[in-house]
Amino acid sequence: MKTFIKKTLLFILPILLLATVGEVLLRKIPNDYTLKRDYIKEHSKEIELLILGSSHSTYGVNPEYFSSENLKTKSFNASNISQTIDYDYEIFKKYGKDLTGLKYIILPISYFSLYIILDSGDELWRVKNYNIYYGMKKSSNITDYFEILSSEMLTNLKRLYNYYRFGMSHVTCSKYGWRMEFHSKLGVDFLESGKAAAERHSGKGENHLVENSKMLREIIEIANQRGVKILLYTPPAYHTYVDNLDSAQLNTTIDYVKGLPNIYKNTSYINLLSDKDFTKEDFYDADHLNKFGAMKLTKILEEAIKKL
Amino acid sequence: MPIVFIGYWLLAKKNLFYQNLLLLFSSYFFYACWDYRFLFFLIFSTSLDYYTGIKIYESESQRSRRAWFWLSIVVNLGFLAVFKYYNFFIDSLGLKANLWSLKVILPVGISFYTFHGLSYVIDVYNQKIKPEKSLINYSVFVSFFPLLVAGPIERATHLLPQIIKKREFNYSKAVDGLRQILWGFFKKIVIADSCAKYADEIFLNSTHYFGSTIFLGAFFFAFQVYGDFSGYSDIALGVARLFGIDLLQNFSFPYFSRNIAEFWRRWHISLMSWFRDYLYIPLGGGRDGKWMKARNILIVFFLSGLWHGGRWTYVTWALVNAFYMLPAILLENEKNTQGIVAQGRIMPTVKELISVTTTFLLTILAYVIFRSKDLADAFENFTIIFSKTFFTIPQFVGSNSIGITSFILLSFIVIEWSGREGQYAIERLGFDLPKPLRIIFYYGLLLIITFYAGTKHQFFYFQF
Repeated sequence: MKTFIKKTLLFILPILLLATVGEVLLRKIPNDYTLKRDYIKEHSKEIELLILGSSHSTYGVNPEYFSSENLKTKSFNASNISQTIDYDYEIFKKYGKDLTGLKYIILPISYFSLYIILDSGDELWRVKNYNIYYGMKKSSNITDYFEILSSEMLTNLKRLYNYYRFGMSHVTCSKYGWRMEFHSKLGVDFLESGKAAAERHSGKGENHLVENSKMLREIIEIANQRGVKILLYTPPAYHTYVDNLDSAQLNTTIDYVKGLPNIYKNTSYINLLSDKDFTKEDFYDADHLNKFGAMKLTKILEEAIKKL
Repeated sequence: MPIVFIGYWLLAKKNLFYQNLLLLFSSYFFYACWDYRFLFFLIFSTSLDYYTGIKIYESESQRSRRAWFWLSIVVNLGFLAVFKYYNFFIDSLGLKANLWSLKVILPVGISFYTFHGLSYVIDVYNQKIKPEKSLINYSVFVSFFPLLVAGPIERATHLLPQIIKKREFNYSKAVDGLRQILWGFFKKIVIADSCAKYADEIFLNSTHYFGSTIFLGAFFFAFQVYGDFSGYSDIALGVARLFGIDLLQNFSFPYFSRNIAEFWRRWHISLMSWFRDYLYIPLGGGRDGKWMKARNILIVFFLSGLWHGGRWTYVTWALVNAFYMLPAILLENEKNTQGIVAQGRIMPTVKELISVTTTFLLTILAYVIFRSKDLADAFENFTIIFSKTFFTIPQFVGSNSIGITSFILLSFIVIEWSGREGQYAIERLGFDLPKPLRIIFYYGLLLIITFYAGTKHQFFYFQF
């Protein structure tokens, strides 16, 4: 028995060593999650405005576009691509108590926000970023706690090669968390990207309305207890996206979030989904703004914040 | 699992009671990790069969014996019927779905552990075995974790004696177990998941593809389901062997079968032998002439199709396989093939090659039904397959990844062929070569597995 254990360990030792080295090297590659985590930790006392949410915020709200110098330097965009409300809640729960200067939160409520969770969608592979880099323990799947186990080996080898050979990190955000690069393959075809996004964002028989609305209320209530005001907004989108949305899902979402300011005095909501101020030139694809659109949206949100 | 393994052999110190207790708690723990909500059903089903087994044995009248027997059968099959087939029957009867259907979640492994329990109760009733007095031992038999969620479906006559016997650590057996686990993971992660990529895409959008492509999709599906299911069985058998327990072989190189009857003696052996012993033979088997034999085979295949789930595609797939066998039965010229094809030889004869290929092609065609969304979809797929687009080059040919997948599949088939006389392909592979070369081969397999790991595909048969 002892011989068996010894020989088995000897056999797997090289693999374990290689895997450990690979895991360490992968985790050392800078990425948006490490950037955002470290910024929040280092500037926790300075941050007055926290932006949460999904790519609609990541691309849409750039703190450097605020006109107020104070907001410019004391805001941070902690949103991430495909980040769902449950992860917004976890980030706020984990770091919120250290944000002693926090006054405002901006949170997008998009068409999918109350219906979809990251853990059951196509973007499930991103869960490992929250477990590894934010230290969350939401997943019971062991592969979600290791870089080496959550992607194909070829992908990991490419990442290692690109970073350690050419210095290509995975940081795509600015200092204040606004994402500057676009990788959508359908970036220029608004018709196709609109249809595809609307299809992807639809609940498709899955409905996390109850749990997501509960998470949203939890965020609002915690913020309320700490005297933090919340601005909810439905981001603008191009009509090729809006036209393909399921009206039942959309109306339920909008009606729900519209009612929240009546219950919570620290909450305000604006619906910019079909706002006429946003034209085709403001969009990268049917549901994401380009930098011109981000400029407009940031300014609109700034005005709304001032009224809170 | 390593903790259970070490605890089992070191801490239990060859104490049978503690070994079995540890196995039981770890089995329940692993099951609960999967879905704790249905642990109650597993424990309930186990307790019921344990108790009714004793009652059957102790009953003095045949009437009483029969009553306890039917109690177990009805309750076990009742649970299975509700969880697995309620909505199927509602839909089939054409009742209004929104009024009658239940949002029923299928407890993991219910098809497997229900059949374990049933085989025990039937064997006790038929006085093939005495009831197990120890609830712990019996519970281990039902819920032994390597086979709990996807088999093989064990028999009390085979597994219980091993559970009640003291187990001593055997180095060769443990190494063999690890080897089989490695091969099982290779089949699942490399073969099954690679093939699933193509099969899923083709069957999801089958109307966009040529007949040749859909046929190719069924070909990939054949290897997906074989790699997935036999891979899991290899892992289960290998893990069991680490604990000193031998489970029933569940697959014996079915795609090298020379006819459909042989295929069904080599595919999901534990299920088909279960149906043979507990249904086919009691119905009369082949004793009462060819027509009764044909009837009994149709019944068995109908039920085995249903066992897979409440879908007409599963039932139809199974019946098509039964119909494949009928001509030989009715013409009374069944070839009872012995051994494995080309036994003791490297190459098959031309006749053997033709019969193996024909059998494989027939199974691929039947898989089209199994894999289709519903019968209408299956019919449409067959219409496309049997059109002139069957003679067009499949649409995936030419892409790099399909070239790599095809190369890996071919290598896999060669390895399976070379190891077909063993329990699993690499059981004796390279034993006539220096040991370092074997070690290099195992590292090679591990490297390939690691290359392919990282995509999330559940074991296909976990849904049953």
